[in-house]
Amino acid sequence: MIPATLTRSLVEICGRDAVIVDEDRLLVYESDALTAYRHRPGAVVLPRTTDEVRDAVTAIAGHGLPIVPRGAGTGLSGGAVALNGAVVVGTARMNRILEIDAANRRAVLQPGVINAELSAAARPHGLYYAPDPSSQTTCTIGGNVAENSGGPHCLKYGVTSRYVTGLTVVLPDGTVAKLGGQGREAPGYDLVGLFVGSEGCFGIATEIEVGLLPLPEDVRTLLGIFDRIEDSGRAVSDIVSAGLLPAAMEIIDGPTIRAVEDSVFAAGYPTDAEAALVIEFDGVAAGLDGEAERAAEFCGRAGAREVRSARDEDERLALWKGRKKAFGAMGRIAPDLLVQDATVPRTNLPSILKGISEIGKRYDLVVANVFHAGDGNLHPNILFDRRDRNELERVERASKEIMQLCVDSGGTITGEHGVGLDKKHHMPLIYGAAELDAMWGVRRVFDPAGTMNPGKVLPEDTAPEWPVAGEVRDAAEPMIAAGAAP
Amino acid sequence: MSTATAPGALAGLLPESRVLTGDAASQWAGDREVEAVLFPADTDEVQTLIRAANETGTGLLPAGAGSWPGAGGWTRSGGVIVSTARLDSVFHYEPADLTLTAGAGLGWRKLAALLEPNGQWLPMDGPGAGEGTLGGAVACGVPGPLRARYGAPRDNVLGLEVVTGEGRLLRIGGRVVKNVAGYDLVRLFTGSRGSLGVITRVSVRLFPRPGADVTMVFEGGVGEMLEVARGVRASALPVAAAEMTVRRAGAAGGESQLAVRVLGGREEADEVCTRLAAGIGAAPGTTLRGGESEVFHRRRTAWEGRSPLVVRLAALPGRLAAVMGWAREVAARTGGRLAADVLGGVVRVKGSPADDGTAGLAGKLVSVRREVEAVGGTMTLSRAPREVAARVGWTGVGGGGGPLARKLKSLFDPCRVLRSRCP
Ligand SMILES: Cc1cc2nc3c(=O)[nH]c(=O)nc-3n(C[C@H](O)[C@H](O)[C@H](O)COP(=O)(O)OP(=O)(O)OC[C@H]3O[C@@H](n4cnc5c(N)ncnc54)[C@H](O)[C@@H]3O)c2cc1C
Repeated sequence: MIPATLTRSLVEICGRDAVIVDEDRLLVYESDALTAYRHRPGAVVLPRTTDEVRDAVTAIAGHGLPIVPRGAGTGLSGGAVALNGAVVVGTARMNRILEIDAANRRAVLQPGVINAELSAAARPHGLYYAPDPSSQTTCTIGGNVAENSGGPHCLKYGVTSRYVTGLTVVLPDGTVAKLGGQGREAPGYDLVGLFVGSEGCFGIATEIEVGLLPLPEDVRTLLGIFDRIEDSGRAVSDIVSAGLLPAAMEIIDGPTIRAVEDSVFAAGYPTDAEAALVIEFDGVAAGLDGEAERAAEFCGRAGAREVRSARDEDERLALWKGRKKAFGAMGRIAPDLLVQDATVPRTNLPSILKGISEIGKRYDLVVANVFHAGDGNLHPNILFDRRDRNELERVERASKEIMQLCVDSGGTITGEHGVGLDKKHHMPLIYGAAELDAMWGVRRVFDPAGTMNPGKVLPEDTAPEWPVAGEVRDAAEPMIAAGAAP
Repeated sequence: MSTATAPGALAGLLPESRVLTGDAASQWAGDREVEAVLFPADTDEVQTLIRAANETGTGLLPAGAGSWPGAGGWTRSGGVIVSTARLDSVFHYEPADLTLTAGAGLGWRKLAALLEPNGQWLPMDGPGAGEGTLGGAVACGVPGPLRARYGAPRDNVLGLEVVTGEGRLLRIGGRVVKNVAGYDLVRLFTGSRGSLGVITRVSVRLFPRPGADVTMVFEGGVGEMLEVARGVRASALPVAAAEMTVRRAGAAGGESQLAVRVLGGREEADEVCTRLAAGIGAAPGTTLRGGESEVFHRRRTAWEGRSPLVVRLAALPGRLAAVMGWAREVAARTGGRLAADVLGGVVRVKGSPADDGTAGLAGKLVSVRREVEAVGGTMTLSRAPREVAARVGWTGVGGGGGPLARKLKSLFDPCRVLRSRCP
């Protein structure tokens, strides 16, 4: 519940239908896609323009309440969860593409535009937006900017930050700042780059300028089938070190294959296999066949039992189907799913995959891997039922061990999902006091009053003396226990 | 020690063999003054020097190999230069991972020699890449024409070790190619030009050297080349870089040249070249392949040379013809030459202000900046004599720091010991 005076101000600024205070309707905004964390916001407001965001932020901050920006709520780190009765500023109505400037291969849009819709709008101009998170049919570009999202094809094309060239942001004190824009030559510090990946802590992006790419002319897609997951990891590492640059390389492991094949999404992958590797090359037609052949050879040498190749678009979609539907299928076989997101050096993939499977066995848990192998970005998914207390405890221990294993091999705790609420207590695994202190300092530059998305990214116990809007009470919230609530 | 001047006190912290003074030091300073050049041998020494600078109020100027004397503007003269040239160890190179971690002072030649046997490279081709240091290229963060294919330096820096202006040691980012843990301080320090800290170590993403490196060189009048450039830009074919140069008026040979670089598999590169030339309806005067193409572009990174005046104009690539026009006005007054990154929309002018009076030139630059900014572009001085820079300002809109930039500067360098100007 928020004070009635604030409700009135928000209604005045954004209109009655843009302000949600009704408890039942607030339920929808209780969590993001990582449903283990649930907190009901104090209210939700859905502005349409930069000016409305500015006025709404000023009003909310004026009441001393924390603010949480929210896109589509597909985040996997609890970033859009509203702690301490925070007010959610949602971008659902800021869904207009303002300009497609085909001559300069750029677009300007509002943050609530869905990722796939931008590419669809650019298509008639022969262009598309390269970063393609697997959630691209639902997630927003604003969310992508906040998380610096990746996707299967980021192996060749790079992640969100490479494509964001300008931002209009409403800072936590209601100031509107324009960062970069008109390409990427603006002088000054790279504030656009600093804002990308700031997980809603530095302000709300209200206009986004991005670069677009010409559609690739042709594509070749392969599917390697392996009896051992380490072998698929070796194939990936060999392909990369041989100098081939596929557009995407994704691994789907045995448990995931079986989950997919048992579901309505069955893609025709052999259920006795322990790994499937999707490899895609794109570009001008000349030379693509040769590259695909070489990649197939590497698969064979690493121990692939079979390498399929798509002859047309239908077959290509079929080869991708197991990858694309993996999350949906897993959701059906277990009530709860813990998604991890560590990145490791590619050469360590075989040993890490083996290590993860051993940890799973030791704790008697089902761990299913489906991930961006070419970038070394793992997604071990632990399937469980949170009503089983004993299992819950094992999940927590296994999950910590997996993360430690990845960090010890030279990796990091998150490659694309962000730290959010979920991984903030793991930040000290990779950063010391000085680095965390510097991050707090930078956050304070943007948000001196602690208004924007407090309780995320940085563990509170490392915070220097600093005011924070609302009371932060969950400093040491355990990872999954929160999900045991309603 | 107590009687020594502050810079002297700093110099006293290193063995004499790693301190330059007098004329030897002045060579590093261009037309500015400097008391000494110091060469710390490891991160600890960098930290010791920066802490001492904070205690004694000595101004510091971070530098790499000193290939850019004066380094494009100091906030104040005096103080000492801290060079990272001795920090040139390679800490980690895993060819199969395509990643490398090295000291900021690692020189380009050494780096290239290390990567070449493995068929790899670091495609950073900003001005001066090739002569300077890895850390210097990252600190300047200026992209060259290859940005079209490989991104700007900031897109390929995975992690940094820096000693901030306050003397704190930070290890930010990492050495994996995807990493979103915490705020992206790596981007903040990349391109911060030594105004926030001294970069001591760099982790970068490497790339396999493509099987074929082909450059089609077109020649003709400026208008003609702009037309070809337009065709290249409009084509959906994968062009790695395209750079246009305009010679000094009256120079021998064609007035202008456009070099279009295609990188990829052999079959692919040939196909792209053939189709591109057909598509734009122009035939290249020469086509360079393999080593020839590579050397051609490597030489281009040294294009600015030691020119006392380098002006960088940028706008959306669709405005290239207009920007080129303004750049030519500047060039006409400075006996200057032009180089344009056709795909990036950047035009650089190099010349000598001696060809014109300072006041006249400054007036021209100010009016050109106004025109470029009116179409959403920018004009910055990369290098300029003190008097010109003082009249014109190094950067225009957005440069030098709005409120956020000023606060970031205060956060990392509260005593303002780092005298490199903010970018
Ligand atoms: C099935 C599935 C597959 C996925 N696959 C991928 C993948 O391949 N790659 C990948 O990177 N991610 C993936 N994700 C995670 C998620 O989709 C991305 O993180 C996405 O960018 C989130 O966008 P969103 O609009 O849903 O943001 P939300 O979840 O609503 O918000 C995410 C964060 O962004 C902040 N935020 C949102 N909008 C703004 C704004 N305008 N200004 C400032 N801050 C803002 C929020 O405060 C929050 O911290 C996947 C998720 C699911 C469920």
